[in-house]
Amino acid sequence: MVEYRIDRRSGVATYVQIVQQTKQALRLGHLRPGDRLPTAREVVEATAINPNTVLKAYRELEREGLVEARRGLGTFVKRALGAAPTAESPLHGELEDWAARAHAAGLDREDVAALFTAVLEKHFQGESS
Amino acid sequence: MTDTAIAASALGKRFGRRGGWALRDCTFRLPAGRVCAVVGPNGAGKSTLLALAAGLLGATEGELTVLGTTPAQARTRIGYVAQDKPLYPQLTVAETLQMGADLNPERWDAAAAERIVAAGDLNPKSRVRALSGGQRTRVALALALGKRPGLLLLDEPMADLDPLARHELMGVLMVQAAQHGTTIAMSSHVVAELEDSCDHLLLIGGGRVRLAGEIDDLLAAHTRVSADADADLAAHTVVESRTTGRQLSALIRPAGPLPDDWRTDTPSLEELVLGHLRNPGAPALAPAEEAVA
Amino acid sequence: MTALSAPAPAPAPAATARPHLTRWVLRLHRPALYVWTALVLLSTVLLLLLHGPFADAAAEGWRRFDSCGFNTVCRYDQSAILRYKDWYNYATLAVAAVPFLTAAWAGGALFGKELESGTAQLSWAQSSTPVRWLSVRLATAAVLVTAGTGLLAWLHHLAWAAGRGRIDSAKDWYDMGTFLTGGPTLGALSLAGLAAGALAGLLWRRTLPALAFGTLLTGVIGGTAQLLLPHLWPTLGRSGHGYPTSPAGSWTVSQGGNTALYHVTYHPYSHYWPLQLTATALLLTVTAVLTLACFVVLRRLTGRAAAR
Repeated sequence: MVEYRIDRRSGVATYVQIVQQTKQALRLGHLRPGDRLPTAREVVEATAINPNTVLKAYRELEREGLVEARRGLGTFVKRALGAAPTAESPLHGELEDWAARAHAAGLDREDVAALFTAVLEKHFQGESS
Repeated sequence: MTDTAIAASALGKRFGRRGGWALRDCTFRLPAGRVCAVVGPNGAGKSTLLALAAGLLGATEGELTVLGTTPAQARTRIGYVAQDKPLYPQLTVAETLQMGADLNPERWDAAAAERIVAAGDLNPKSRVRALSGGQRTRVALALALGKRPGLLLLDEPMADLDPLARHELMGVLMVQAAQHGTTIAMSSHVVAELEDSCDHLLLIGGGRVRLAGEIDDLLAAHTRVSADADADLAAHTVVESRTTGRQLSALIRPAGPLPDDWRTDTPSLEELVLGHLRNPGAPALAPAEEAVA
Repeated sequence: MTALSAPAPAPAPAATARPHLTRWVLRLHRPALYVWTALVLLSTVLLLLLHGPFADAAAEGWRRFDSCGFNTVCRYDQSAILRYKDWYNYATLAVAAVPFLTAAWAGGALFGKELESGTAQLSWAQSSTPVRWLSVRLATAAVLVTAGTGLLAWLHHLAWAAGRGRIDSAKDWYDMGTFLTGGPTLGALSLAGLAAGALAGLLWRRTLPALAFGTLLTGVIGGTAQLLLPHLWPTLGRSGHGYPTSPAGSWTVSQGGNTALYHVTYHPYSHYWPLQLTATALLLTVTAVLTLACFVVLRRLTGRAAAR
């Protein structure tokens, strides 16, 4: 089950934050096909945001074909996102090793982030997140 | 069944025969199922509007329809919590809920009311006079929600609450809206407090409606522009404009496409509200034709 | 979408379900109910003592005193006589205070405080109208006040009647304290006090001013009734030469003139009940007017629609 964290100061619309966090969970394998998304009631109880915002985010995810609403049952994940580099995948392990080496080499968090972003830009040009 | 929770038309309220108008010429429509922020500075008329809708005050002029009928006839379907959360201090929490059951025999949902109280870790045997501000608000909300209202009117519900209690109780309200489709109208003079929880806005200033509508629509109708000082805004509705040096920045309602060399931006809700409150002369945006229920 | 678009169906309204307002008026004002019960019980005990043993002992004292004639040595129970007289005065004072206590309580606790703290609005936001809120409060208090004052006035009348003709120091029937506390006038003035307090509460909407104004208004009503009392029933009169006096045991209302033509008007004891009943009717009329005023003020507070 995914838990949404709403950051009011991020400047990103609340429903977009839910969409992004859901996609993130799909990429990381925290959510898999067949999993149920939290109900609007569960989300608003924890976050105190407007229920229509949650439903708007879910409609957006449905429009993108990632989830489907089953009447009376809830909203379910239809398909996973990306290559599903889960915690067990070799890519995840390699990145872990790389991060450990960067740390050992004395790079701090921002150095690593800058490096990572630069590489992302180079390899995924033209793709939006 | 009606799709309009509140419809006001030229609504006005004056206290005393020679008193000033607390509310004047208010026309708006709140569709059912919305969570509406009633925003405005202190003394703007928010409390008066909520008390009128709750049937606790009579209007001096104009029409007010609540849940398809008069506020008085909708009484059993309206939940109302006043600003200072009045409760009988001599009663215990359990007795207060029992009173709710006895005074609202047609609709009372004891389980729902008890759940709200229990979630706050409240001892049902505590006397109301011994409760903290947050606990008191919780009991007042339980009393209002136990009625299973179709419309919940809350006057400054979150004032005097610590951030944790505020978040928890707002969660309780949002669950109510999500589960039962309850229309909620709550007032505050702090916009940020309500921004995430509300999808509808009613901005009141000086006893009049300044903005009314879906928050998304209102934001979409406005644009923040920066342009050269000699830019001509005349074609558009100007809420606020300021010239500093060679730079003009303004909050406008565009009447058509804007020139390419203007930098444009969507305002935040707070900017929108403050812009209208700072400029009482700016034309109001309250789709009046919709108000005819 | 399902979570939002389907509002919970309203539970089927129970046609017979009526809000239990009376129960909650009694619960919310339990301390006042206890005080009222204690006051009635204590006064009852005192009045029964006055009616029985105290009056008998005092009457016996007077009988002995009167039989002494002008003997220099006279043995009689003076303390029994004083005991009846003193406790009779205390009891009269306690019972006569009831209308004012009622006004103070109605103005302060029953209405002023509720409107000041907003709990009145809390009640109006439940399922019954402000008009019912006011009616139930007035009716519940009126029933309790009428029952209590009815009992007290009857016992007080008995305690007074036990001394009449037997105890030389007993009060006359037209002594104002005795008259007020010995008949239905007491209940009527108490109900006027209740209505005056309620009106004060609704007008001031604050505890202390309402308490003070309610009590004051009751005092004005009581005082006016006292001034009007002799004129509520036709007096009898005597006139002639010399100085005619009203008959023994009658209430002299006026006298004057000169030696040639002197006149006196009075109420004989047989006017006691006509005066009690006309005073009661007058006070109940005032009560009705005040009660009507309460509803008018409430309607102005809550609006025409809200009171429906």
